[in-house]
Amino acid sequence: MDLSELERDNTGRCRLSSPVPAVCHKEPCVLGVDEAGRGPVLGPMVYAICYCPLSRLAKLKALKVADSKTLSESERERLFAKMKEDRDFVGWALDVLSPNLISTSMLGRVKYNLNSLSHDTAAGLVQYALDQGVKVTQVFVDTVGMPEKYQERLQQHFPGIEVTVKAKADALYPVVSAASICAKVARDQAVKNWQFVETLQDLDADYGSGYPNDPKTKAWLKKHVDPVFGFPQFVRFSWRTAQSILEKEAEGVTWEDSSTEDQEVPKRITSYFCPEGPRPRLPHRYFQERGLESATTL
Amino acid sequence: MAAGEDCGDGHQARQYVFLLPGKHGRRVEAGVGVVHRARAQGTALSGGERAEQPEGPRLWQPGAPPSDYLKDASKKMESGLMFVKLVNPCSGEGAIYLFDMCLQQLFEIKVFKEKHHSWFINQSVQSEGHLHFATPMDPLFLVLHYLTKADKEGKFQPLDQVVVDDLFPNCILLLKLPDLEKLLRHVTEEKEIDSKKYYKYSKEKTLKWLEKKVNQTMAALKINKINVGARVQSAAFCSADQVSSDEEEDYIRYAHGLISDYIPKELSDDLSKHLKLPEPPASLPKPPSKKIKLSDEPVEAKEDYTKFNTKDLKTEKKNSKMTAAQKALAKVDKSGMKSIDSFFGAKSKKKI
Amino acid sequence: MDSGDEEASEKYRIHLRPATLRDAVPATLHLLPCEVLADRPAPVGRFFTPAIRQRPGALEVSFRGRILRGEEVVVPPSLAGYVMVMDEKAEVLAGLGKKQESRGSEKGDGEEEPQPLERDFDRFIRATASFARFHLWGLETVPGPDAKVRGALTWPSLAAAIHTQVPED
Repeated sequence: MDLSELERDNTGRCRLSSPVPAVCHKEPCVLGVDEAGRGPVLGPMVYAICYCPLSRLAKLKALKVADSKTLSESERERLFAKMKEDRDFVGWALDVLSPNLISTSMLGRVKYNLNSLSHDTAAGLVQYALDQGVKVTQVFVDTVGMPEKYQERLQQHFPGIEVTVKAKADALYPVVSAASICAKVARDQAVKNWQFVETLQDLDADYGSGYPNDPKTKAWLKKHVDPVFGFPQFVRFSWRTAQSILEKEAEGVTWEDSSTEDQEVPKRITSYFCPEGPRPRLPHRYFQERGLESATTL
Repeated sequence: MAAGEDCGDGHQARQYVFLLPGKHGRRVEAGVGVVHRARAQGTALSGGERAEQPEGPRLWQPGAPPSDYLKDASKKMESGLMFVKLVNPCSGEGAIYLFDMCLQQLFEIKVFKEKHHSWFINQSVQSEGHLHFATPMDPLFLVLHYLTKADKEGKFQPLDQVVVDDLFPNCILLLKLPDLEKLLRHVTEEKEIDSKKYYKYSKEKTLKWLEKKVNQTMAALKINKINVGARVQSAAFCSADQVSSDEEEDYIRYAHGLISDYIPKELSDDLSKHLKLPEPPASLPKPPSKKIKLSDEPVEAKEDYTKFNTKDLKTEKKNSKMTAAQKALAKVDKSGMKSIDSFFGAKSKKKI
Repeated sequence: MDSGDEEASEKYRIHLRPATLRDAVPATLHLLPCEVLADRPAPVGRFFTPAIRQRPGALEVSFRGRILRGEEVVVPPSLAGYVMVMDEKAEVLAGLGKKQESRGSEKGDGEEEPQPLERDFDRFIRATASFARFHLWGLETVPGPDAKVRGALTWPSLAAAIHTQVPED
């Protein structure tokens, strides 16, 4: 898989896709959506769609695609290569969400949680297929958590399409299995060839599975924490594992939206409101509006 | 946090970020330079160009007579610039000033402070994102503080008996400023006995001097397009031709407010009368509520918030109730304050 | 003056070593929209600088998992930026010998100098770097023209007007 575009800039999101098979413009198609790398504290999350004409579904099935989790890495690679061979009727597209994008979305002033980010990304990919002229009639989506609301949302979004959201869809529907293989192959490759934005000293390549409960991953995080910057952008700062290491190992940082109740009213102002007490002369509004005050110490 | 404390060498001395009058100022030598006069001649001061220059007499420039330079250097090289704590003539408390004994100039130090800022300075972090400004200051404001205090004795005195301060003994440095005698004419009556000069504070002269200060400040406010109106405006939407005669009073009041930051309260009040400014609305016991922004009534631009500041507006929640004084004020028609009246009027109507 | 001896701070003078102003080499400064609760070395060049991206209309970087959008602020040409640090007491003592030498050489020139500008209990500050521009960062949004610090930068020109000598009658 050619991820060179991602490697050029992996601080945001990156969409990659196969050419649309000609037949998918003409015949009604079934489309599967799945994701890889939702849980890890490291690396990108990859969303993938895979689609083929209803008429060719049996052929896709014959590839013996299965839930990517039940396949070894080499089997996934092999299946992805086979899908490439079948590019006259199988198409795919992916959206690689960098860990930096995930961190900054989830930690933003307006919190954008991982579920919303996932749902919007999935919907975005379906829309992308439609925009490219794929004649999508059925969509199957794998989900973690409650499928009902998700299905309702997607169905509203795509009224002309029959949407099925189901847990373990990646094991049930071949197009979803195929999508899960695309996503997993891309995620593995992206992680393996991750271009660190930072210049890191003695970078340890062995970060384990990337899942928070993996001792190797934890050890890696602890090794690569910087007291000021925290972690490289490869790490999802929004994960509790990352946050709790930062709390222990890094300097404190406060933002204007860090919630502390008593930040609001400085004492001096309170006394200013007291009409009885002597009122200190506050600096002229020119200075207050510009955050300027006379220096009283050096 | 813990990691920082663990490694003792991780911490470093506090770094101060300063803006000093730059080399353009120095060239003119109009009292805004901050460097040794002998060295300022013909040499730019930015680091890069001069980094290779070695220390000491080799810095001498061909244009300057060597004997003068050395004499100058030996005396002043290490002591030309110094920060000292002096009285802040507005608050009466201590504040930092910078003296340049070579250019014989006083500077005031203001600090930009805003919450939640830090600096990255090269390969380091400085926790407080402060920015210090050193700007030339008229030393007369400081001397005036002592003159008004001494005036209670009502007699002519030599300056070195006036500028005396146990708390801020460095005030004697003011006496070293060469132009001071000339400046004192603006604010004192003067007598010369046996070639020694004696001074007595003159309120009349001072008010005239301050009026000139207000005028030149007003001119600068206009040139710099400072928003002196009440409305909180975006700098991006501040248009040049907003100045109308209506706003003239806003400018006077604003300039008066700025000058007041350098003089005692009583003198500020006297200056206000001298300038025939209407009673400032700051006599209100409490500033207006932030909720005004949500009101259906349009907020007029003519309101004067000189004494209401943004902090007040932000910390308003507690003060949304009208006091008796505010209600009384709402009924009184004071010229120049109409919009304030209508503003409180509108609020009280809603309450009742 | 933050060293605890508050009382003395009213008395002592902090001498700015003039040579350090000339020798100060340019530094890179970033003003961040958060407070890092530490004064310490930080690998800015390894973590921060390489992560800055030029996006349409703004620079973009992230810090601690949050997005910062920024712009370059050029210090008004009439001003010169310096970073300064206070000398440690030990450094002051080291410089003392030199100072006394120079004071000794003064005695001969016949000028009266009853009180030296430098006293033994004074402190010293020196410039460690200079700057003519810095990066100003906002949390998620570009600080823009309404940033307080932009307003603060207009102060020197207004100060000049306030403090310039008044015209004679």
